Amino acid sequence: MRPQLENVLREIEKVIAGKRKVAGKILMAMLAEGHVLLDDVPGVGKTTLAVALSRAVGLSFRRIQFTPDVLPSDIVGFTMYEKGSGSFVYRPGVLNHVNLLLGDEINRAASKTQSALLEAMEERQITVDGNTYPLEAPFLVIATQNSVGTAGTQILPYAQMDRFLVCLSLGYPDYEAQMTMLRDRQDANPLDKVETVLGKEELIAMQREVRAIAVREVIFDYIVRLATASREHEDVEIGISPRGALFLDRMAKAKAYLEGRDYVTGADVQDVFMDVCAHRVLLKEGAGAGTVKQVLEELLKKVETPDRHSRFPGMLKK
Amino acid sequence: MRRRLAGYAGWLMLGICLYFFENNTGTRVILACSALVPLFPVLRSAFFSPDGAETEKAAEARTVKSFIRQETDEPGDVRAYLPGDPVRCIHWKLSAKKDDLLIRDTVITQEPAEEIRKSIPDAEADRKPLRKWLPGVLTAAILLGLLLLLAIPEARRGAQALCNRLFAASEAVNSYAYRYFPVAEHQSVTLAGILMIFNLASLLALTVVARSRLLTLCIMAATTILQVYFGLSFPVWVNIALYGLLALVMMKQHPSRRVLMTYAALVLAVFLLVTLLYPGVDAPTETASEMARDRLSQMAQRIAGAVSEMPVGEMETRHVHTQSLETGGRQALTEREFRLVTVEEEQISMPYWVNYLKMILLLLLAVALVVVPFAPFLLLNARRKKAQEARKIFESENISEAVCAIFHQIISWLDAADHGAGNLLFRDWSDKLSSLLSEGYAVRFSECVEMFEEAAYSSHTLPCERRQQALKLLKETEAALWTKADWKQRIRLKYWLCLCE
Repeated sequence: MRPQLENVLREIEKVIAGKRKVAGKILMAMLAEGHVLLDDVPGVGKTTLAVALSRAVGLSFRRIQFTPDVLPSDIVGFTMYEKGSGSFVYRPGVLNHVNLLLGDEINRAASKTQSALLEAMEERQITVDGNTYPLEAPFLVIATQNSVGTAGTQILPYAQMDRFLVCLSLGYPDYEAQMTMLRDRQDANPLDKVETVLGKEELIAMQREVRAIAVREVIFDYIVRLATASREHEDVEIGISPRGALFLDRMAKAKAYLEGRDYVTGADVQDVFMDVCAHRVLLKEGAGAGTVKQVLEELLKKVETPDRHSRFPGMLKK
Repeated sequence: MRRRLAGYAGWLMLGICLYFFENNTGTRVILACSALVPLFPVLRSAFFSPDGAETEKAAEARTVKSFIRQETDEPGDVRAYLPGDPVRCIHWKLSAKKDDLLIRDTVITQEPAEEIRKSIPDAEADRKPLRKWLPGVLTAAILLGLLLLLAIPEARRGAQALCNRLFAASEAVNSYAYRYFPVAEHQSVTLAGILMIFNLASLLALTVVARSRLLTLCIMAATTILQVYFGLSFPVWVNIALYGLLALVMMKQHPSRRVLMTYAALVLAVFLLVTLLYPGVDAPTETASEMARDRLSQMAQRIAGAVSEMPVGEMETRHVHTQSLETGGRQALTEREFRLVTVEEEQISMPYWVNYLKMILLLLLAVALVVVPFAPFLLLNARRKKAQEARKIFESENISEAVCAIFHQIISWLDAADHGAGNLLFRDWSDKLSSLLSEGYAVRFSECVEMFEEAAYSSHTLPCERRQQALKLLKETEAALWTKADWKQRIRLKYWLCLCE
């Protein structure tokens, strides 16, 4: 693992113990310039994790708590008539000058508010009254959603779900981690102990390096076969979209980079497959296949691995 | 109606044409084609407008129905609310405007609708009395007819004779059919004919009255199966008339496309099969059969010792045979000869396809005999060449290529020895390998997997010692497999190693 990234993970671990894997995945999503959806119960440290990450990487951080009456103008800003100067003035919303935005409980917001986030997430710019404002780079949205079915929530639209690079879940910490947490939080807030170990510019440079990582034809082939197989599965209503395949490639690259390699292996794709694809797949109603996870695991087992395809380096079997 | 008749006239013309064609060629086309008759209604509804299929009564009922629907849809008068009016009739919009409850008055429009509905003649009710007693009577008639046919000896023998005459009239008569139908001569067929026609008519009437498509289908199926079973067909005109009639019966009820289609396809398939397997008697078989029969009759005369007049036609000939068989039973030698000739006759009139099958089998056997001795050599050579090709890459300039090839060789050997982990990434194989082979081998394997991944997926060139490392693992694999293998697997391993030498 690259030493700088190792440092970042160590800083995060100061605050949240035993969640190294999830923190690594969020870091990967950051390197791949994607957005993260955290799907979990309240109180497992979603916000703390985001804050720790922003401090360790030296990003400007903001959070917005979504409720049914948060309006799109709260997010993208609005123009207002100023009496003194007699002109319209743009009042920026939460998205301006922010690198890491934590959208808390995104599935409690009204759908128009959710869709206001769409352009920002995809294009990294916002348009208000015909004026387009670019967002500051790097830009990362970590959205949390309460598990579906909790009171006052509505399911995120499929288009919105598809725009998140990964959907992660923190889960409850184990016994050891809980003991450590209780011990650490007796007198001081451990968030104060987090030091900035990585600069904004360094992160941008890393993102560029991730983009430059070489991916062989066999890997592309594997990703396409996985996506196609998911669409053709009999229990699946909506399979992995082409955007999903693209994200899978980007995430695999970030994984390879995190591990200090300059090439993507089949294992990288398999490791990130669940996180990237689980929230993109919709099962048919009444299908007897069980959960999305089971279907995807079945796909991984069924689709031939690139290892078997790569008799000649990097090329497809003729 | 006129169209329907025209269609049937066309079908009849086609049937007659086919009949002449059949007479000239001795095939069974007509039999297969008569199965197409039930298809006719479907074809008709496909080619002509669907309105043609609708009876006048149904059309009338439909207009009345739509008339009723229009009436109810029309906005009627609006009147003040009276206690007891249904809530759903309240015209809420107008009521809100006028600040008073108003009722959408639909009672008036509903009453004439009811009257119209009542005035439609109830087809079901009309049919009812007829429906009640006729099927029972008809069923009883059929049963009675059958009972008479079987119980009265006169009628039974008459039925046999009738059957024989029918076969004689058939274009596909075969001498082996006589085995199934004992000859009855000098029998009056009138009684049996009357009973049979009576039965058939009752059956058809029953299908019409009971409106049962199932019954019609059953009759069709029974007719077909009987014809197929005996390898014979009724005369063409019987088939055309019978199937046409049955199709008409089916069409008179609501023509259901799917049932007909399924049925037609089924019958067609069965008939085609029959036509292929039991082709109509061709000229050579007929001649040979004729000759055998002549010899038989001559012999019979010799046995009987009396020269009676030469019978004309097969039934009579057969009759003489039977008689002669009874009288000449004592003479063992001639009897044996007689039996031999009988067997010969049966063989001659046996269906042809058995011979074709035999020929095909013989041909296959011959080819197999020629090819089989050379097969192992051909196979071995091909495998050896393939193995050598694979080995050549091991020495390739490109280290990545060589490492990939060597690794795939290892994998294919593990797979072949049933130590492979299937469709897993190679890095996940070590668990299975450590349990199946040795612990140490699994460790070295997982070390080399990283090397393989670098060779397969990265674009940079690898150092030379990687090739040696991979070859070392290959040797280790061979050794590990050898130690674990039982004697069968050892033979296979030796075989592969020899191939690769």
